[in-house]
Amino acid sequence: MDLNGIINGIGTVLTPIKWVIEAILVGFHWVFENVFGMDGDAGLTWVLSIVGLTVIVRAALIPVFVRQIKSQRKMMEIAPQLKKIQDKYKGKRDQFSREAMQRETMEMYKKAGTNPLSSCLPLLIQMPVFFSLLPTLNEAKPDAQGHFHAGVGLFSKDLVESLYRANLFGVAPLKDSIQTAWGTEWVVVIIAAVIVVLMTGSQFFTQLQLVSKNMSPETKASPMYRQQRMLLYVLPLIFIFSGFAFPIGAMFYWLTSNVWTLVQQYLVIRNLPTPGSEAALAREARLARKAHARALARGEDPDGPGGIALEAAADGPSAAPKRETTQRQQPTSKNRKKKGGR
Amino acid sequence: MIVLEFLWLLPRNACVLILRGYRAVISPLYGDVCRYYPSCSAYTLQAIQRHGVIAGVALGAWRIARCHPWAKGGVDDVPQRRVPRYRITDFGFVVATGHGKG
Repeated sequence: MDLNGIINGIGTVLTPIKWVIEAILVGFHWVFENVFGMDGDAGLTWVLSIVGLTVIVRAALIPVFVRQIKSQRKMMEIAPQLKKIQDKYKGKRDQFSREAMQRETMEMYKKAGTNPLSSCLPLLIQMPVFFSLLPTLNEAKPDAQGHFHAGVGLFSKDLVESLYRANLFGVAPLKDSIQTAWGTEWVVVIIAAVIVVLMTGSQFFTQLQLVSKNMSPETKASPMYRQQRMLLYVLPLIFIFSGFAFPIGAMFYWLTSNVWTLVQQYLVIRNLPTPGSEAALAREARLARKAHARALARGEDPDGPGGIALEAAADGPSAAPKRETTQRQQPTSKNRKKKGGR
Repeated sequence: MIVLEFLWLLPRNACVLILRGYRAVISPLYGDVCRYYPSCSAYTLQAIQRHGVIAGVALGAWRIARCHPWAKGGVDDVPQRRVPRYRITDFGFVVATGHGKG
């Protein structure tokens, strides 16, 4: 199966996106060459340009992510209504009850002005970027007469040639994949295999963190949880499969994106965990310990006002709704206090 | 007549088969994400069943375009046909109704 042929075909439809992608690549390449003084033809310079591209794309997606986190916070407020609907359909497993339940839940979300679901946009939006990057790498080669052709927009003939000749660590051409290098260039196969392992590992770890730490008990009881667990094992398989056919350069995009997700999720799980989840309890306990230590440092009795938080956290799941109270009371001046404002 | 109807309904039934396959294999992979009820793929499936391939795909595409993180979401059903012309099997295939042979 010629996967790259199909992908190149999709690529022609994506010319406008390709223009932007190539412009960003060229921009980063220029910066690494002229500002940091790196060798423009080196594989590393091109790899870093691809990493830069990924960072731009992921940074552009931050608002979507923040939006999702915010609406998940709001779920706290509508939890009682959700519980009511769930109780109404408790034990009813037939298709019509499930559908009616989903319908009511959606109506309730809309009324409350929130929605914990993110739509498939965050999943889909990286696809056109990736499918524009692939042909960019694949097309960077001379034609039958040995001439190079410029890419779209800012991607000049010289840069195309430079990308074509770019070897990572001086040995692995960025356009090569396990598929093309199999049997001839084992060093490429080994480097690609290492990237695939890193990619798969980061994906698995991210998903495992999400499933094991950042899910409320309600979610864990839902069919969605089963699907999430399935994803845990299926996605790595997809990565192994795609790692076989995709060029090394393109895999650096996925790898960077995975690492970004990993870090972003780590920060969220640590600082803004899903209420009621294991991570939320861990955060409560951590904050309580800190408050305890601070109280001791000030020479106060830790079982006084500071000690309350510790006990609340030790209560386990029942302490979760008190989440807001763990935020430190901001000091206010006497005047403002009298006004009653915040 | 039956052969003609079968041929007429063939494109939409082909789409039904593809969408059923997608809903069975691919969409469980990423779980519940749609901000609407029915979900985008269920909506498109119904739209194709009721309105045929061209109008159905257009309705489905418009729905996917509306489904983004800033959309309000909620219940959003496929517009009904005034007079339902065909029967829909349990699997989702559209077939000619037994009665009313024109």
